[in-house]
Amino acid sequence: MAQITYIQALRDGIREEMQRDENVFIMGEDVGLYGGAFKVTQGLLDEFGEERVRDTPISEAAIAGLAVGAALTGMRPIAEIMFFDFTTLTMDQIINQAAKIRYMFGGKAKVPMVLRAPMGCGTGAAAQHSQSLVALFAHIPGLKVVMPSTPYDVKGLIKSAIRDDNPVIFAEHKLLYWTKGEVPEGDYIVPLGEADIKRKGKDVTVIAGSIMVPRALEAAGILEKEGIDVEVVDPRTLVPLDEDTIMESVIKTGRVLIVEDDCRNNGWGAEVAARIAGGEAFDYLDAPIMRLAGLDIPIPYNPKLEKKAVPQVEDIVDGIKQVLL
Amino acid sequence: MATLVKMPKLGLTMTEGTIVKWLKKEGETVEKGEPLLEILTDKATLEEESPASGILKKVLYQEGAVVGIGKTIAVIAKEDEDIAGLDLEGEYDTPPSEKGKNAAGIQNKGEKKPVTASDRVKASPAAKRRAREEGIDIGQVQGTGPGGRIIEQDIIDFVKSAKTKVSPTAEKIAVSKGIDVKEIVPEKGIRVMKEDVLKAVGRGKKTPLSGMRKIIADKMVLSKNTIPHYYVSMDVDMTEAVRLRENINGFLKDSDIKLSYNDILIKASSLAIREFPVVNSYVDGEAVVFKEEINIGIAVALEDGLIVPVIKNADKKGLKQIAFEREQLIEKARTNKLLPDEFSGGSFTISSLGMFGVDRFTAIINHPETAILAVGRIKKQPVVEEDNIVIRPIMNLTLSADHRVIDGALAAAFLNKIKEYLENPFLQLMEG
Repeated sequence: MAQITYIQALRDGIREEMQRDENVFIMGEDVGLYGGAFKVTQGLLDEFGEERVRDTPISEAAIAGLAVGAALTGMRPIAEIMFFDFTTLTMDQIINQAAKIRYMFGGKAKVPMVLRAPMGCGTGAAAQHSQSLVALFAHIPGLKVVMPSTPYDVKGLIKSAIRDDNPVIFAEHKLLYWTKGEVPEGDYIVPLGEADIKRKGKDVTVIAGSIMVPRALEAAGILEKEGIDVEVVDPRTLVPLDEDTIMESVIKTGRVLIVEDDCRNNGWGAEVAARIAGGEAFDYLDAPIMRLAGLDIPIPYNPKLEKKAVPQVEDIVDGIKQVLL
Repeated sequence: MATLVKMPKLGLTMTEGTIVKWLKKEGETVEKGEPLLEILTDKATLEEESPASGILKKVLYQEGAVVGIGKTIAVIAKEDEDIAGLDLEGEYDTPPSEKGKNAAGIQNKGEKKPVTASDRVKASPAAKRRAREEGIDIGQVQGTGPGGRIIEQDIIDFVKSAKTKVSPTAEKIAVSKGIDVKEIVPEKGIRVMKEDVLKAVGRGKKTPLSGMRKIIADKMVLSKNTIPHYYVSMDVDMTEAVRLRENINGFLKDSDIKLSYNDILIKASSLAIREFPVVNSYVDGEAVVFKEEINIGIAVALEDGLIVPVIKNADKKGLKQIAFEREQLIEKARTNKLLPDEFSGGSFTISSLGMFGVDRFTAIINHPETAILAVGRIKKQPVVEEDNIVIRPIMNLTLSADHRVIDGALAAAFLNKIKEYLENPFLQLMEG
């Protein structure tokens, strides 16, 4: 099987869906001729033309509004926001319109759109270009939130997101873009709402999303040498959340560490922790549920401080050891 | 209206009873008067009858539980009756032994005791669940988690250590020799090895004290520990008693009844007690309680123990009646058919080992009585009578007395009185 990058897999997924369904189109700042800020859409303009690969003015509100309107007319827009931070400019369109319309029209209208954007820190892009704001959207009823961690998942999930009849927030991580992984050629999907066990283990469950998945796997590799057997669970989609897989894993290991690529306060990890504590896994817990997340600060520009702001591999190693105390 | 079945008081000194066996299961129909359960008292195992008809809705104590008298042990109610509202809180102090089950599953309406910080055991939910599943008290487990928290592994280790480790060879030998490995303490380490079992074989098979043996053991220890015993001994010339017995048996030769020396002793003792009422008493805490009736117990050896049936009002009965009752009671004792009334309420016990060739011995007082008479065999002996040596049938009597209520002089006088009635048995005819 071919080893391709996350960007390539994502592009393949978008291309295949555009080939499959002519209602699918992509739009965003510089997605056409320039191929997007991270080159996700490179080559698509040549293949599908200006009608279906549209450069937009520099207005995230306009992009989101346009996507909502197009979706309502039966199109399946993919709206690229250059940095996830700028989704704050789409909030009214996404939260007040996209998330509500299907409900308010009694199901007679639907909004099959995907809002995708690169998130996260680690590139020295400072406070306004480094946030991972998935928890903001996961809080809103009516939105689905996806955060793929591997090339295989990103292709399967973008296809599911495009085919979904509801607005989907698709959070890619900048540092994952150039990671490589095995991806089969041709059509396959990864359903929304299915977590994936990225590594089987029996001593502790690490629930990690997005960039924290490869970091947790690296930490698990280090701890394996110390005789600690770590299970890594990747929820893949925050909404809907695959509670069953999480519960099963926690019931098996009795210990859990949640690792988030965002600040800790009111993060998605709190939601997962609450579900575990309130669910059937409670009676199997052998230690308090621990959360490892970024500091509650804006992401610093200084690269050393930036590294300190969110969990690194060594932080996950320490966190796992604390849960196992 | 639901009926609460209480632990009955089946004897004077009974304070608690052990539930040996439930003869009905929860949900079964019972008739009033039908045997409901077996209770082990300090004297024997007895069947207790159901106080009401209905459905045995709830059993509050499982088999093996020790319950104080008067405590509710079960609930009998009508088929469709809801007993959930019954306030049974505080009625049972040891939870049913069934693992993990909510104690009795009955809602306790009473106020809940507030939980204080010191009541709480620091344990992970997994440890608590495991403890529940294994049926162990989490309070006994030492926690190894942060801050002493009990974690699941601690429970697993606790359960493991609670189980005796046995080497396969040791196990095999133990099984073949009928030895319970749990009783063996390994000499080295924590594992019972072949050598340990072989040593245990040398010591012989261990049988736990249970049933009647346990009752006897407990009673004897109680008696010896609480009653200050002392002993007074006397030889009795049985010439006249022998003659009396032979004569009477001559008259009774066509009847089923045969007079024994025991009967004469029963009558003699009961008449002597009349004159020494303190012998007919028992110590209850700081008080001495005097009994009305004079009831004489006779110790009867059984294959696996001993029981003391009682002849009631012996002082008021003739020798023939006493002989008749004695034969009946001994027969019942040997076939295990004695009713509680027939072996309780005794005043004074006679223990005779004469038929086993014993000349003299001392006996342990049958708690809560105050004296016991140990009777040896009748043996022809040379006796000095007015400067002549004559041969007489002599029998030794040894009285064990409770010095809290009977002093030496009184014991001597009492024993002398018995001796008088035995040496002059016609005196027995004057009383009744």
